[in-house]
Amino acid sequence: MEPFAHDLMDGPPEVARAPRPYANPYLAGIGIGIVLLAAFVLVGRGLGASGAFNSTIAWLVSWVAPGYAHDNGFLAGYLGGDTHPLKSWLVFEVAGVFVGALGSGLLAHRVVRTVERGPRISIAGRLALAFLGGMIMAFGAALARGCTSGQALTGGALLNLGSWVFMLSVFVGGYAAAWFLRRQWR
Amino acid sequence: MRGWISKLTTNQRLAALALALGAIAIAATVGPQRTATVNAKELLTRVERGDDHVTPAELAVWIINGRADYRLVDIRGAQAFAAYHIPTAENVPLSQVADGGLARSDKIVLYGDGGIHAAQAWMVLVGMGYPRVYTLLEGLDAWKEDVLFPVAPANPGPAEQARFERAAQVAKFFGGQPRAAITAGPAPAQPVPAPPLVAPAPPAALAPGLPASSGAATPPKKKREGC
Amino acid sequence: MIAPLEKLGWFGDETSLVIAFLIGIGFGFFLERAGFGSAKKLVAQFYLRDLAVFKVMFSAIVTAMLGVTYLAWAGYLDLSLVYLVPTFWIAQLAGGLLLGVGFVVGGYCPGTSIASAATGRIDGVVFVLGFAAGTLGFAVASPLLQGVLGAGELGPTTLPDALGVPYGAVVFAVVVVAVAGFAGASWIERRMAARDAGVR
Repeated sequence: MEPFAHDLMDGPPEVARAPRPYANPYLAGIGIGIVLLAAFVLVGRGLGASGAFNSTIAWLVSWVAPGYAHDNGFLAGYLGGDTHPLKSWLVFEVAGVFVGALGSGLLAHRVVRTVERGPRISIAGRLALAFLGGMIMAFGAALARGCTSGQALTGGALLNLGSWVFMLSVFVGGYAAAWFLRRQWR
Repeated sequence: MRGWISKLTTNQRLAALALALGAIAIAATVGPQRTATVNAKELLTRVERGDDHVTPAELAVWIINGRADYRLVDIRGAQAFAAYHIPTAENVPLSQVADGGLARSDKIVLYGDGGIHAAQAWMVLVGMGYPRVYTLLEGLDAWKEDVLFPVAPANPGPAEQARFERAAQVAKFFGGQPRAAITAGPAPAQPVPAPPLVAPAPPAALAPGLPASSGAATPPKKKREGC
Repeated sequence: MIAPLEKLGWFGDETSLVIAFLIGIGFGFFLERAGFGSAKKLVAQFYLRDLAVFKVMFSAIVTAMLGVTYLAWAGYLDLSLVYLVPTFWIAQLAGGLLLGVGFVVGGYCPGTSIASAATGRIDGVVFVLGFAAGTLGFAVASPLLQGVLGAGELGPTTLPDALGVPYGAVVFAVVVVAVAGFAGASWIERRMAARDAGVR
């Protein structure tokens, strides 16, 4: 029996509670929209996620190889100046995302150690693709100057031209790849 | 008429609301505003409190210390600016001050030849919601008098003399020249003209205590706003 | 104009970081509410079974967009002080395509991967590690990618600017497209569900 192949309903009855159904997507979306609007009004910027990864990697590299980190144009942009790279708005925001998601998950009894995958792929295969997908997406986000949170949501709401181009491309890329990856999910 | 709204599902009501708000928004104007709204009492109180200006002496110290947290704006025309301007100043002619080149988040110091035009620009910007605008008290006239060409005090005590020494150093930093004491007596019929202005030479050897101007390349600024 | 509050001097950097954390909590909370901690839920978008990604994304965009428009119109929000990421349309088009592929391969996007890791998904954690590795890889490769990176530079540009159309008109158009999209999404979901049921 594979160790992580838990169904959401598995486990001793007194531990596993039935997970609540997901929220109405429109209401969840409105919730995110209000959070995004609050960011605009309070600090004049939107949400993001990939930037926090950039800061963190820049900090780690500067720890291990400071000379290289400051020579590399991409990383140096997240270092230098007077503040610690981890003292960045996005790093704190992403920390909040973790906490908020955990909170929601606990309330809905949806926190469970599992591997999300379709019926036709192994755990090892799924994890390998998760890693690979993360890498591909990192390149995409770096080229696009953001990801779905920063570019699609934030730029979308601000009618940013580049963000709308990006958003459309994401859907095109995803649908194009879907057929090739159907063994992972269907 | 009310009946049809109650027959819609939540999602449909939200959609209707969005469409209504979207339709109204067609008329929206979100660009830079053209009007200034003056809160008379507040504005005049600020002036009375002296919260609306900085003195030339203060500005001189800011420039010498290399402070970069404000924008010094020369509101005269391009020719006057080219002939002479206070170091670190940028030129935004008076008629363009409200065009949007100056951000509300900036700290701004305005100056003109005297004090009047800068004060008018100040009032407009304050009325447009700029929270941190100041004028240079009496503009270039006072800059020349107090900073560039300070007058030696007559019969100075030790404290006054020390102050004048310092003012003389500041004057030299900006390419000016301290002036000898003017003997007391009836004010001259014609005011003594200030020596002609020369654009200041780059500060070479500075007296100790005056930090060097920021010639070194600033370190690359950390990306603060990306996503 | 009183907003954005931080840029108009209402509070400083330290408070801003606290706000970042709180806003992140809100964002993460609603992401998980929508089920976006689950790769299966997210990827179902690209198999046309569950278009929640589209619904959530566009309701968020419409909500924030309408909020921004009304606040700016009423003179409370200085839109020129809200940061607009500069447009590099070619780089962003390429980046978007890669991101879409990465989404289906990996099952998440950076934000949802955090939500997923927080709710216990091992694949979410692995995705985060992969994204970190990819970021490092990009940094190392970045000197060679300068050409692509700067392709299509247009500076900060909005759709109304680019199309020469009034801001409000674009806002209305986005709302119409979104609502039509929602209706279309529901129709697609129903059709696919029927198709799946018919097949079995």
